[in-house]
Amino acid sequence: MGESSSDESDTTFQLYKDRREWKDVTPVPQDDGDQPIVAIDYTEQFKDVFDYFRAVLQSGEKSERALNLTKDAAALNPANYTVWQYRREILKALNKDLNEEMDFIEKIIVYNQPKNYQVWHHRKVLVEWLQDAAKEKYLTETVLAKDAKNYHAWQHRQWIIKTFNLYDGELEYIDSLISDDIRNNSAWNQRYFVVMGTTGFTEEVLNREIDYALSNIKVVTENESAWNYLRGVLLHDKCGLSRNKKVTEFCEELYNSGNRSPFLLALLVDMCSEQVSQGNEDPLYNLERAKNLCNELSEKYDTVRAKYWQFMAETIEKKSKKEESQVEAEN
Amino acid sequence: MDFYKIKFNPTAHKKYLLRILRGLPPSLSSMDTHRVILTYFAVSGLDLLNELDSFPNKQATIEWLYSLQVFDDSELVSGFQGSSTLNTELNQGQNALYKWGHIATTYSALATLVILKDDLERVHRKSIIKSLRSLQLPNGCFMGAKDGTEHDMRFVFCAACICYILDDFSGMDIDRTVDFILKSISYDFGIAQGPQLESHSGSTFCAVATLALTKQLHRLSPPQLEGLKRWLLNRFENGFTGRPNKPSDTCYSFWTGGALKILNAYQFIEEKDNDQFILVTQDRNGGFSKWVNTAPDAMHTYLGLAGLSFMNETGISSVFPDLNMSTRAHEHLLSLHRKWRGC
Repeated sequence: MGESSSDESDTTFQLYKDRREWKDVTPVPQDDGDQPIVAIDYTEQFKDVFDYFRAVLQSGEKSERALNLTKDAAALNPANYTVWQYRREILKALNKDLNEEMDFIEKIIVYNQPKNYQVWHHRKVLVEWLQDAAKEKYLTETVLAKDAKNYHAWQHRQWIIKTFNLYDGELEYIDSLISDDIRNNSAWNQRYFVVMGTTGFTEEVLNREIDYALSNIKVVTENESAWNYLRGVLLHDKCGLSRNKKVTEFCEELYNSGNRSPFLLALLVDMCSEQVSQGNEDPLYNLERAKNLCNELSEKYDTVRAKYWQFMAETIEKKSKKEESQVEAEN
Repeated sequence: MDFYKIKFNPTAHKKYLLRILRGLPPSLSSMDTHRVILTYFAVSGLDLLNELDSFPNKQATIEWLYSLQVFDDSELVSGFQGSSTLNTELNQGQNALYKWGHIATTYSALATLVILKDDLERVHRKSIIKSLRSLQLPNGCFMGAKDGTEHDMRFVFCAACICYILDDFSGMDIDRTVDFILKSISYDFGIAQGPQLESHSGSTFCAVATLALTKQLHRLSPPQLEGLKRWLLNRFENGFTGRPNKPSDTCYSFWTGGALKILNAYQFIEEKDNDQFILVTQDRNGGFSKWVNTAPDAMHTYLGLAGLSFMNETGISSVFPDLNMSTRAHEHLLSLHRKWRGC
């Protein structure tokens, strides 16, 4: 959490108890009881700042100096959500320029605390107060440039895109991320989010997205993210997993070329399973093929999940028997 | 080959956890507001190692936790604080501005009390449940505290644990909770921190455990359940990962493993030498870290131990994954429930 927490005491820091402008305030020590557990060996500075923070909370002081105090307290422990909450109260009470606060929190997020819940929440509240999301895409892009899978940044980005309808240009941004790292699952997820929030999966978009997934699978066939996306897109195909000609032809060609990506084999198993449970006797997607594929997976291509694939083969066999007995009963 | 296997070192871990309970250096000041959570990790870890007896301050821990309890039916901020940061001589035992319970620390405090075999008689059960209910949002998600916190699947799980421990599910609208979980299922059948976000093992565990604790697992459709199992099973590759195409990390041996346990699908992954993926992150001075050659911490140590428990490592007690505590502690809780129900 706290890369910026004060490991070394700041030599230039003047303790609050030595500051003339704070002479009127009596510091309030923490009461941790007789036998505290997981007690922290606070530095003198930490104790000093929080003694004054407690004093300010107790008196309810909302002033310029109290605002500065919360800045010091937040620097010492950015995960203290009360400090941030009280800081917001002061900002409101003093009617401060919130754009200055936006710059302040941006620096903390980008340089010190990109994975801290409290600072992202602070940012979110400020955006809500200002009703201005103009800088948010840039902020999240700066953070994602350092860690393209930062969950906080993606969460913030989705929130502002949804709230302020900022979908424009998002597919292009995702494209650039996926071309940097085709395995970036966060970017794939964002693609789904954008389609759902804009056009939805109309027939045309469905086709486009299938093409997109397939062309990326071609580049790296063992990329779970792209396969998952393809399957997610196919959830919107009325005919199911196993009847989209473009997809089945792609998969068969890949398989016949000798490719044995476990994600390819798994999809073929599920295609077989779908046909079997519908009682069809498909020449390509049937029980025998499912059993062979599960064997391939458990013996060679996905051995860490061998027992799962054996279980899948049994499950599909049971489904086929169930279908058979149903057909017989109907006759 | 056996010669190269890393051996589990329970004694070192016991010492490491006892050290945490004794206190932390100034460099960990950013943990100040989460001391209750660290206490839970350390105490539950000792419990899994069957070493609670070596912890001399059990009663002091119970008293300290109760000193952090807040009950306030007018402000609806009942629960347990995460630390004494805001507590002063003047406001001791009284309500004060921002002396608020937090959902994560309330769960951790209650779990720790259960693990320490407390009878929970001093817990203000009704007040906590009443406050908890006010933290649920219209979409079913939970906030962490009355104001100033985010809301996501982690807090949904904490809410379910609090209701379960206090044997009172009037703390949440279960239908709305389930609705939030179902809406957070991604196109890849993993579960995210909220609707449309990326699926993640941590949030998936939180969602699955919530469904189990509220007895709502049947609300997953057969394709959702099968897809979810597949997604979780795919998180196993040279150790457990939390998202597709991310490196493995010790803590996911619990988050991913625990969700698989609850769904009765853990047995589908390879067993042989599985523990080695966790043991490579074992520090020689005790504790587990996130990755090889990084510093150990309380969370990864505890979750590593819990992950090893799923692998039946010798010397570790079994874990009740839904609440993330030992089966023994869960049994103790059930005996309290029977007493409260008068049977």
